[in-house]
Order: sequence, then C-alpha cells, then structure tokens
Amino acid sequence: MASSQSVKRVVKEVKPILSLDREEARQRVLNLYKAWHRQLSYIVKQYDIPKNQEQCRQKLREQFTKYDEIKDIRLIDMLVIKGQMELKEVVNMWKQKGHIMTYFKDTVEPKPQDFLSKFLSGKD
Amino acid sequence: MSLLRQLLHRNVGVRTLNNSVCRNKVRFLTTAAPEVTRETRRKKLIRVDKKEKYPVVSSDECFALLYTFKRTLELRYIQLHPAPGSTVRKSDEVARGQLKDFGKYVAECLPKYVQTVQITAGDEIEILITPEGVLPVLQFLKDHHSAQFSNLIDIAGMDVPSRPYRFEIIYNLLSLRFNSRIRVKTYTDELTPVESCNDIYKAANWYEREIWDMYGVFFSNHPDLRRILTDYGFEGHPFRKDFPLSGYVEVRYDDEKKRVVLEPLELAQEFRRFELSAPWEQFPNFRNAHPAAETVETEEKGKK
Amino acid sequence: MAGVVKTTTGLTGLAVAKRPHHTLGVLYSKILRTLQKMPESAAYRKHTEEIIKERSQILKANSNVEAVEKQIGCGQIEEVIVQAENELILARKMLNWKPWEPLLKQAPLNQWSWPPAQPQAK
Repeated sequence: MASSQSVKRVVKEVKPILSLDREEARQRVLNLYKAWHRQLSYIVKQYDIPKNQEQCRQKLREQFTKYDEIKDIRLIDMLVIKGQMELKEVVNMWKQKGHIMTYFKDTVEPKPQDFLSKFLSGKD
Repeated sequence: MSLLRQLLHRNVGVRTLNNSVCRNKVRFLTTAAPEVTRETRRKKLIRVDKKEKYPVVSSDECFALLYTFKRTLELRYIQLHPAPGSTVRKSDEVARGQLKDFGKYVAECLPKYVQTVQITAGDEIEILITPEGVLPVLQFLKDHHSAQFSNLIDIAGMDVPSRPYRFEIIYNLLSLRFNSRIRVKTYTDELTPVESCNDIYKAANWYEREIWDMYGVFFSNHPDLRRILTDYGFEGHPFRKDFPLSGYVEVRYDDEKKRVVLEPLELAQEFRRFELSAPWEQFPNFRNAHPAAETVETEEKGKK
Repeated sequence: MAGVVKTTTGLTGLAVAKRPHHTLGVLYSKILRTLQKMPESAAYRKHTEEIIKERSQILKANSNVEAVEKQIGCGQIEEVIVQAENELILARKMLNWKPWEPLLKQAPLNQWSWPPAQPQAK
C-alpha cells in the first residue's frame, strides 16, 4: 500500500516553477548565495548596522542552511524566488535598518524554559 | 403557477425504500434532484429501480431532496416574481439567454480549455478553465470580434483549503463595446505557477502582484513580481486561510535600540483566544444550500 | 456633407484612417489566409470566417465610409480596423495554441463545487 502510494506521488505530474532538475535548482541556490555574498560589504556600509561583515556572512550562511532539509525542487525554487526578491529589496534600499536587523533577532529574548522563569515572565 | 407546472413536467421521480413517504411518484426539479441521487448512489445508499427507472432512496434522503427542491424552487420563483418593494434583484431573462448563448459560443470555440460554463446570481456568466488556458482564453475574449472584452476590471483570488487545488484565480472582464461583463476562473495551488497575462492586459501587473502578495501564487513571466501591500520583512501570505488572524510578527519602537523592531508574536494568556473553528464554516445550514451556480449545457456535453 | 474631410475620430490615440477600404481589405485577406491553416471543423475558424466575410462584403458593396460604418454597426471605421488588427493577432496566436483540440483535462472532483463542504458528484 505504502509503496503504491509513493509510486503515485512520483508519477503525479507537476508544472515546474523554474528548474527542471535538482542540478539546476542547486545552481540557482548557489547563484543567489553568491549574489548576496557580493552585496554584503555594501549592505554593511549603507545600512549603518552595528554588525561587521563577518557577522553578516555568518547570518547569511545560517539563513541558507536553515532550509537544508528541503529537497523538493519546486520548494527550492520558491525559496530562491523569495530570496531574490529580498535581495532586491535590500540592495535598492527599500528596506530600512530595522528590517535588516530583524534577521539578527537581537531584541528577542530566549523563551523561558524552567517553571520558575516561566512563572516570573508571566507568559505560558 | 405556470412555472411550477413547467418544472414538474420534467420527468424525474423519487420513491422511498420503505414506501412510507411519497408513495406516489413525486416529481422533482432536474437540477436539484439528480445530483443528490447520483452522489448517494455512488455511496451505495440507494439502488436504481430498473423497472421504473427512478432512483430509490431512503426516507431521510427523500426529505433532503424535498428540501433542496423546495429551496431551489423558491429562489427561482423569487427571482422571476419579486414581491412589490422586494430588494431581490430581478434577473433579466433576455440577458440570461444571450449570456448562455455567448457561453456556449466560447466553449465551442475553445474546447481545449473551457471546462464548464455557468450562470451565477441570475445573470452573471462564468467560464471555468484549465490553468493552461489562461492566456488563450483571455486573448480570445479580448481580441475576438464578437467578444471584445478589452478591460480587465480585477483579478481576485480565493482560498479553499479543502480542494485539490486550493486557490482560485478569478479574472473579471468588461466589454465596453457590448456593455457586458464576464468572469473567468481557474485554479492552482501553492507551488503551481500561473501564466501572467500582463502581455494581454497591462492592468494585470499590479493585480497579479496583489495575488502574489496575498496568496503566494507565483505568476510566471511577470515583468516585476514583488510585494505590493505588505511591509518589507513581512512573512507569510495574509489571505491564506491558514494565516492566523493575529499574524506571525509584531512591530514596536524600541527605546534602547532607537529603531522599530520586529519580533515574533507573543500574546499574553488573556489575549490568546484563537478562533479554532474555521471561519468559512460558520453557517452549517449553508452546507445543504442549493447550488450557487447554474451550469450551461455546452456542445461538448451534449454529445456525451 | 460629402465634401467634408473627417479630421478626428474623437477617440484619444486613434488617428483618422486615410485609406480605410485598402487597409481593411488587406487585413481581412490576411485573417482569412491565417484561418485557412486551421482545420475545417474548428468552430473558431467557422465563426470568424463568417464575421470576416460578412464585413468584407459590406466593404465591397459600399464605397462610402459612412455607409460601411452604419452597416457593420461596430463603431467608426478606425475602430473596425483596430478590431481587425486584434483578430489577426489572435488568429496567428491561435495557430500555436490549437484550441480546437479536445479538453486538456477535467477539473479534479469537487474543484468547482460550491459551497465547498457540499460534495457534488460530477
């Protein structure tokens, strides 16, 4: 039963978004990563954020490795498209400092784990 | 009462299993009855009585049928004979006939793409097409001599998560030449791209960006697809039914940082009463409502 | 009135046609040639040929532009030219799309049913 279902899933025809195979999707991801990487130094200068280029590079890597688990080509394509749109927003200075700093989540306090701190924070 | 008589002449009858209700043949409106019976037959709740050629149903179902029949009849009757001072819009029978003819014409010219033609709300024509047919159908409606729907009024989206393809994309067109409107509908899901009709209608540019922003439907070959309504850094597509009413992030001004910060949403206990029941199921009576649209029989179906 | 030269169509961006008979004649013959590449049974070809032939007959019968406009009954002659241009573009695209073929695929079950909770057998 399970095998027949999996076969069905493979056979199901889908319309590709951009890439036709895994290699092409991989290439797109790499291109996007390189494009971001090249822009980083300008971003750090122009946005006047309290981070250096190395920290930004780490954050960039983190943003990409976050989606390591995704294997579906169409999902990858969709993420690449959204990533490209974001890059455009950043490079054209449509975003502001606050939007850039959102990636670093420097105001988000870690969630309380043990009972007492949960009780004290008054949440949950 | 002539309408009623006319409807009753359609020879569809229903008899109950235990013959307790409707012992005599009850005749039903064809548009209401066969759908329910076909559905129930599929579930093997009923069997077809071959001698009389009437589907045999249980008494419960008979009541359901009667109810649907009554509602359909009522609605049609109100549309045709509104009470004096009634606010129900009258539907123009002549216009209806013309629209039906035009729907048949479109279906005949483009059999490859048109799935169904239907009339809704009395006198509005809808063409339901395959996702591949967006460009041909729109181009046909725009450029053909007897269509000339040269204005794109709006592109709308709709999300129904229970469907195989959850999104509907709806194009509203206007023909100034013939003073007529038409609606073209197609379907897609989160990952299936739809062809952008920006080359046909320049107005589509922003509308498609809206759909992309609100529903996350990707339009291929769009010249400038990016967000239009939401803020930079906004996550998610707000018109999807699974998007929480409260959103995912909150924005506030931080005094220490001297800037606006975005944070994941955290609601204190008393504000955290989520509406878990789906908002599009607030009216259970709606489940058994009469079908909202009336299908126009096209040539293709007549052959079968 | 006969001697008066039409100076404007009254529509923005639409100039007065200098030789409407000639332009329309060329356009209509082009459309008909394109339509001939389609299969005879195609409904689009049949209907369009009908329209075009009717219009070109009117065009041949009357040398007076106003009479043509009145008989065609679809706006000024310049608008009729625009319509013909559109039809030509459409016909050429139709050759690639081949819309006279049978339906690509039926909609999945319940795709179009409304209200959505109500399953309808198709």
